Formats: sequence, structure tokens, C-alpha cells
Amino acid sequence: MGTIAKIHEMLVGRQISCAELTQRYLDEISAANGELNAYVCVTGDEALAAAEAVDKKIAAGEEIGMLEGVPMSLKDNMSTKGILTTCCSKILTGYKPIYDATVWELLRDKGAVLLGKTNMDEFAMGSSCETSCYGGAANPVNTAHVAGGSSGGAASAVGGNLAAYSLGSDTGGSIRQPASFCGVVGLKPTYGAVSRYGLIAYASSLDQIGPVAKTVEDVSLVYDAICKPDKRDSTSKGGSETYSTLNNDIKGMKIGIAREYLDGVRDDVKEAVLAAAEVYKSLGAEIVYFDLPILKFALPVYYIIACAEASSNLGRYDGIRYGYKTAHYNGTHDMICRTRSEGFGGEVQRRILLGTYVLSAGYYDAYYKKAQNLRGTIIKAFNSAFESCDVILAPTVPMTAFEKGHAVSDPIETYLTDICTVPVNIAGLPGVSIPCGFNAKGMPIGMQLIGKSFGEAEILNAAYKYQQAAGENFKDTKWGVKL
Amino acid sequence: MGCEAVKYELVSGFETHIELQTKTKIFCGCTTQFGGEPNTHCCPVCIGLPGTLPVLNREVVRFAIKAGLAVHGEIAEVAKMDRKNYCYPDLSKAYQISQLYAPLIIGGYVELSNGRRIRLHHIHIEEDAGKLIHQHGDTYVDYNRGGVPLIEIVSEPDIRSIDEAKEYVERLQQVMRCIGVSDCKMQEGSMRCDVNISVRPEGSETFGTRTEIKNMNSIANIAKAMEYEYDRQVDLIESGGKVVQETLRYDDATGTTSSMRSKEDAHDYRYFRDPDLVTINIPREEVEALRAELPELPADRCRRYTDELGLPEKDAQLLTKYRRISEYFDAACEGVKSPKTVSNFIIGQIFRRTETESDKERFEVATSPEQLNELVKLLDSGKIRNNLAKSTLEKMLDSGKGALDFISESDMGGVDDGALLELCRAAIEGNPKAVEDFKNGKEKAIKALVGNVMKNSRGKADAVAAEAKIKELIG
Amino acid sequence: MSPELIKDDETMVTREDVENIALLSKLFVPEEELDGLTKSMQEIIDFADAINNAPAGDEGFDNINNLSNVFREDEVVPSFPVEEILKNAPEQAEDHFLVRSRE
Repeated sequence: MGTIAKIHEMLVGRQISCAELTQRYLDEISAANGELNAYVCVTGDEALAAAEAVDKKIAAGEEIGMLEGVPMSLKDNMSTKGILTTCCSKILTGYKPIYDATVWELLRDKGAVLLGKTNMDEFAMGSSCETSCYGGAANPVNTAHVAGGSSGGAASAVGGNLAAYSLGSDTGGSIRQPASFCGVVGLKPTYGAVSRYGLIAYASSLDQIGPVAKTVEDVSLVYDAICKPDKRDSTSKGGSETYSTLNNDIKGMKIGIAREYLDGVRDDVKEAVLAAAEVYKSLGAEIVYFDLPILKFALPVYYIIACAEASSNLGRYDGIRYGYKTAHYNGTHDMICRTRSEGFGGEVQRRILLGTYVLSAGYYDAYYKKAQNLRGTIIKAFNSAFESCDVILAPTVPMTAFEKGHAVSDPIETYLTDICTVPVNIAGLPGVSIPCGFNAKGMPIGMQLIGKSFGEAEILNAAYKYQQAAGENFKDTKWGVKL
Repeated sequence: MGCEAVKYELVSGFETHIELQTKTKIFCGCTTQFGGEPNTHCCPVCIGLPGTLPVLNREVVRFAIKAGLAVHGEIAEVAKMDRKNYCYPDLSKAYQISQLYAPLIIGGYVELSNGRRIRLHHIHIEEDAGKLIHQHGDTYVDYNRGGVPLIEIVSEPDIRSIDEAKEYVERLQQVMRCIGVSDCKMQEGSMRCDVNISVRPEGSETFGTRTEIKNMNSIANIAKAMEYEYDRQVDLIESGGKVVQETLRYDDATGTTSSMRSKEDAHDYRYFRDPDLVTINIPREEVEALRAELPELPADRCRRYTDELGLPEKDAQLLTKYRRISEYFDAACEGVKSPKTVSNFIIGQIFRRTETESDKERFEVATSPEQLNELVKLLDSGKIRNNLAKSTLEKMLDSGKGALDFISESDMGGVDDGALLELCRAAIEGNPKAVEDFKNGKEKAIKALVGNVMKNSRGKADAVAAEAKIKELIG
Repeated sequence: MSPELIKDDETMVTREDVENIALLSKLFVPEEELDGLTKSMQEIIDFADAINNAPAGDEGFDNINNLSNVFREDEVVPSFPVEEILKNAPEQAEDHFLVRSRE
């Protein structure tokens, strides 16, 4: 049974009050967060107030929804009215939004209990969570390792039982990669399935919000609650319900494996993914192999587009309307430059510079325009791949969680960790990462199932069937609340 | 060595920003009302809070298409929004959402009274920036204007004189006001021009290096700045120098232009498609529906007044400058014999009471066009004379009352066309000598006959009409 | 599927390039970091240059779900109170955001 269903059952069965449950989560957060650093802001009072409202409903004999009273958290790049929202960047020091992100509105209206905001790479730029101005989040499986990134705090909180679920955001793998590193489930929905209104932008055409949870059914329940069209986001379409089809038979389902996804992947990861393919065969699915040679251009295409959009999105942090402002300056231009140079970390500055470069006069055609063209080619290649299969199976990351401090040294090598995750963002497709084994050191290995556009139901169905067949790969950690 | 002075031709193109009169801003629901306490017409979207997203106001697209149709532009089938990146405190997102790669309107022209057409390159939609107030070196920022919708009309370098430039701007004002998309008030900033200007020896086919004078906010200043800049460029070239391509600001106080360049603004706008906004498809049926909504345009109206109503060009120009005036004129003309009479009353008498341009634009007149129409019909039918009509109109304009409040039955008794004919016949029959004298070439003799008509009508007949009628009868 | 890292000399990133893009990005690059950053930018650009080996795609790309004509109606929504608008401003005065000339 998933965590959400378990909590729901406990609340409805009055085995525990929502306030008590919430307090247990808050206590565990205070006990564990020093080591896991999953949370950068804890909203205890607000959480308890929300919990009491749920308890009143239960006491009055009213029915409550599945997500009602369930303690959860949000990545620190989602706007929460009156609650610190910093993108884990010094430049947003003290920023308390005056409006709520659509996803938070939707969940709050369903009675969600917000425990706090989770750690992330600064402005979601990174693969280890270590570019956070609060320091990185630790991997709950082994705290000497990183939780991954950028939604490292979300995966760490969920893996460490410090939230029933958490919302992350995924621009180039930022939900799936930390989910893979921490041994939990993370869904990056189809672009446009979930509203981006209130999500602080990194790269607008790639960013998507999605759930991180311990089980596929939890991820499905949360996705169903947030995949609503939103008038405030012109690119949002809304998605469709996934929960009722989770347990559908997958006999005859065609699962594709693109050979390119297995190139350069560590042996232990490759073996685990191929073993998962065998599980699928045993469930009656058919495995088909094919080539997607265009994928080798996905990573540079991703960095060009993401950095270009980021350089524009991050122009607004100028010390005038919100956030950090330098202490000493001479003139407006000087103030803005100092504020930005002091407020942004090194990786963010590097990506802003790269983005500015590829958009600047003389380079636009060679880089940005070319990358956009290739984006069209990549989308087309996926479309034709889906003519011969229903879902694509691939590793989530070519490796397992690395040790702390490893990622910072070489930016390009770090970029390579995103190689299996970025194609999905480029093509706007849905992808879910689920645990599929452990390496020799006991670190989790993740695999992803990639679906057709708006094919969330299909990939979650396949993921759920795997989870049922290979439950041993979904292991709990020593941390946090034990239900 | 020939010392004949080279004559220089002025070459100019305009980039004209016009604020659209939609109720709300281009990407959020805040009001576009002018004025208002600082930062009270603002929301998370228009102050660019992190995480906010734009949603395009449908009316902005409709207004822009109307503007495009009114200047004979081609409406694109597919248009897109781009980001123009530059960092300045009045721009809350550090980019302006605008259009570069696929603007809404392509081409078009503005026709001047000398028959020349100033071609348009394109028209695009974009958002306005906020307002900065500089005080003792400190900067105060107000974002009320941030996000107000604009169209930018970019002309080709087809303007050849300052008079053409002035007329070009006036024509745009006229047409945009007429179709109701903007009030085009330069003093309030709802219309602003960037003027590109270069000079070249007369007869030359190639363009000289141009400069751009930014943000001109009155027609008078445009003329002064262009004159100054023309002279400056000619002097520079004649003294062996070269014009540098640069952006200039015009200083009203000194009447001079100066460079706006500073080391801080390296201008490279890094335009790219705005990923937060989707494609705009414009079905042809919608274009036709909008075309059908357009009122008669000033140029067409002007042509109708001269060609169909027989008004002099000058009258037609004056009556079509503001939409309200031409609507007033059209209503007052309903069923009258002589539109010129209506024109005379408006231009001669009513304009004296609406002296300023904004008075003319509002054209709030105590006398309704129906009341003027009634007065003119009395005159048409000969029931009253011109002098009486004029003085009556003054009283009407003072009071708002109708003509019949000032003209009694006796003032207009028996002088309609039929009565006049009878009076004239009687005069001819009763004065055979005078008729004989007139026939023998004694012009003055006609006065006796007219005098007779006047006497018998107790002074109410129109002497001029009577004279004409008598001549006609005598043959 | 490692991207092909090509080291042709197509795109050279110079110190001047970095100074220029830093100015456009409104970032200061201290003199002593300029060479290091130029080198690091060169590496990233070399990495990006891999796309030059890609087939010339003529697919074009519009937007992910090929959406069009998403509009809002021209209806006024009440604005936010000025106190809210200015709430996060590092400095404000007389209901304006304030940027002092120096600090």
C-alpha cells in the first residue's frame, strides 16, 4: 500500500489525528534535517493549523479526500504566499511571494499539509543539489552521497520519510535523477500537463512540475490532482487521470529500448535496466530494440536552449523589486551588476553567460536557431520511435549517486550525468523514474519509462506493474516517520 | 572649380509607438487607465514577480489588426511573440515582450495630401515599460504603465521633408483615433515617435548614415529636432566630417540633440521566441469581420466630402481631422440641400467655440447635429435668411436650445419658394417700366423690382434669391 | 551515447567576448578571473559546437504542443494593494520602488 493510502486509512480510521501525524513529521524533520538538509524552510505553524482543520472535518464525520491531511513539501522554486521562496539562491534572500503557485493552490484546496520547502540546486541548475546556497541535501540511503539534483531536497525528504510526497520540477532531469539516486519514484509529466504558474523559471520551454513519492500509486494520485489546465499559463493543457488504470494488464505492451541510451552507461546500471526488461517479458510485455542516433545531440541542444532561456529569465534579479541588493555601489548600473555578481552562484553565472552568448548577435543562428531546429528533429525521431513501441525503457542516469563534492569539480562531466534525462524535456514527453536495483555499494539504481505525449497513464501503468513484480527494489531507509 | 552649393535631401523613417485603448494590460488584468497613484495598477504579472506568466489579451490582437487594416497593411496568418532582452529599471522582467520574427502586420502605407505614400515596414504589438522619476540622482520606479499594450508602426525611410513628417504623424493620429484604438495623446505619452534621419545630396540614390532621435512627444518638437538634426548632419558633411550612426535625445530647452550612448548600454537585444506564449493564428474570416467593423476612414471620408458633397479640399480636411467632428457633420447634413452651408457653420462658428485640439477632439457642442440640421433646412427652404441663421446659431450654441426657440412664425412667414415666385411675378406685372428699363440694359432697374418684393414680404424675403428669380422670369 | 566533442577551431571565445557578454548579462567579471572564465566558456562552447555535426534539420520547432490562440478576455481584474506590490522591495519611498544613486 502506498504512503498516501496508508495515511488516509489511518486518519479515517482515527488511528492518529492529523495534528499528531503532522507533529511526528515535524519532529522527525528537526531530528534528521541537520544531516539530510532536505528542507530549507519548515512551516510548522501553518502545517499544524492545516492539520487541525482536517481533524475538525474528521471529527464532524465529514468525508475527506485521499490527499487531505497528508503531510507533504514543495521545492523551494514554487511560489508560496507569505512563505520564503528562494530557489536556494542568495539573490532571493528574504523573498516572500504575494501569490501562490497554481500547484500549491490545487493541493492546498485538497487539504494538503505543507511541511516546508525543500532544498535544490540554485535556480534548479545542477545535478547534485550542491549549488544550493544552503549546501547540498544528503542521500538518505547513504549520507556520504549526494541526493542528486536539482530536486535533491524533494527526493531526500521523501526517501528519508520526512514527507509523504513532494513536488519537484524537472528541466533536464531534475525530478527523475534525484529520484533515481535516492531510490524513490519521480514523474516528469508531459510539458503542459501541469501548470507552471508560480514555478520560478529556469528554462520555460523545458520546465515541468511533477511529484516525487515512494510508490507509483502515490505519484499517480498526486499527478492526478495537479494535472489541471490553468488559464494563467498559456502553455498548459492539463493531463488526464492515471490512477484507475495503474493495475491494467500489460500483456502485449511493446516496450522499446533505444540502443543509444545504453551507450556509456555503467555496467551495473545497464545490467539492472536489462534485468527490468526481463521482468517485463515475464509480465507478458514485448521488448523491441531500435536506434535513436539523433540522441547524441540532445545534450548540447539542451544546454543551448536551457541556458538561453535562463539568461533571459534571470535578468529580472536586479535588486529593485525583491530579494538581495548589494550594500555598496555607485549608480544604478553598478548596483545591478554588483547585486547579480554577489547574489548568483558560480554555476548560475556560467549558465547566464553561456545563454547570453548563444543568443547574441552573430551567434544566434549557429547555436540557438540550430538547436531549435534540432529540437524539431528530436521530437520527430521520438514520434517515429513510438510507432514501433508503446513506452521506452532507459536508464535514468548513467551512474548511481556520487559522493559529495565530486560534482563541483568538472562542469562538463556533471552535464554528462543528464544525458539520459534531457531528451524527454527536449521533446516535452512524460518520463517516470523508478528504482530497479542497487549497485555493489547498496546505492539505488533507477530506470525511466518514457511515454508518448500525454501518455502518463501508460507509463505509470507499466511502472506500477514493475513495482508489484519487483517490490524488493523499493526499499525503505532508516530515517523519518514510520507509519 | 565649380562652387555650386550641393543641396541635401532629408531622408526619414519613423518608429511610432501607440498605446492601445484596451481596458486591461496586454498580459494581465490590471487597468490601463492613465494616471492613478503610483504602483496601484499593478499585480505579480506586470511587476515581473518570479514564476508569473503572461497571457495575451485578445482585444490587443483585434485592435492591432484594425490598426493594420486602417493603414492598408497585410494581416499575417501566423504571428509570434518574442523577447527583447535589455536590463533597465523600468522593465520589470529585464525583457520586453514584443515581436521581431513574425509580427502581426506586414507592409501598409500612409498617404499624404501631396499624393505620396509613406510605406510601412510592419506593425507589431508589445508591452510598454514603467515610468522612472529621477530626483537628486535617485530613481523612483512606478510600474502602472508597465504592460500597457502598444503597437509600434515602423515606416520605411520614405519621408522627405519636415512637413511630410508632421503630416505623417497627424495622419496616423487621425486614423487611429477614428477607428477607436488609441487617443494618440502625445502629451500624455500614448503616442511617441523615434525619428530616424539621414541626409544625402539631392539626386543621390544611396542612403546616408542615419541617426535616431528617441522618444519625441510632440509634433512641434519633432519638427524642431529634425530641423536641428538636418542642419547638424549637413554641416558635418560639408566640413568634411562623417555622420556617426547613433541614438540621440532631443533637449527641448536648448533645441539640440545629443548622444544617448554610454558604456553601460551595450545594445544587443538577443531577441528570441517567448517560450511562455503560444502562436497566434489569424483566420481570414476574423480579419474580414474586423474589417467590417471599421468605420469610414478619414481619407475615404475626405474623398467623399470633396467628390460627392462638393466641399473644397480645405473644408474636407478640417472636418475629417477628428472623428467626432465628421460624425457631427454627417448627422447635420442629413437631407440638406447644401452641405457647404453646414460646413460653413461648423468651421466658421462652431470651431470658434472649440479652439484647442483637444476641444476639437472631444467636440462637445451645446447644439446637437439634429438642431443644426433643422436650422440649415429652414435656410435651405428660404424660410429664413443667412444673417438670421447665423445669429440664431450663436444663440443656439449659447443655450443649447433649438432654432425655433429663437425664430418666430412671423420671421419666416410666406417666403418659401412658392411664395417668393408669386411675389416676383406680382412685382414684374406691377412695374412694366422697370422691366422695360432692365431689358434695355439698365441694370439698376432690377433693384426696383427687388425692392418691391421686399416691401410686399415685409422684409422677410431673401433679396439675393428674389433677384435671381426675377432675372429668370424676365429671361 | 556520448556527444562527439569536436575540437575544430570554428568558434574562438576571446576575452573581449566574455567581457561583452558579461556586460550584457549585467555581471562583473573581476580582471583576475577573466582568463579562467574565457577558458571555461571555450570548453562549454566546444561542447555546444557538437551540434554542427548534426544533420541540418528542417523540421523547425514552434512550441511543444503546437498550441495556438490562447487568450484572456479584456476584463479588468482588481490590482494588488500598493503595500503588497512593494512588500519585497529592498528599498521604497513614496509608494515607489527606490534606487538610490549610491550606497
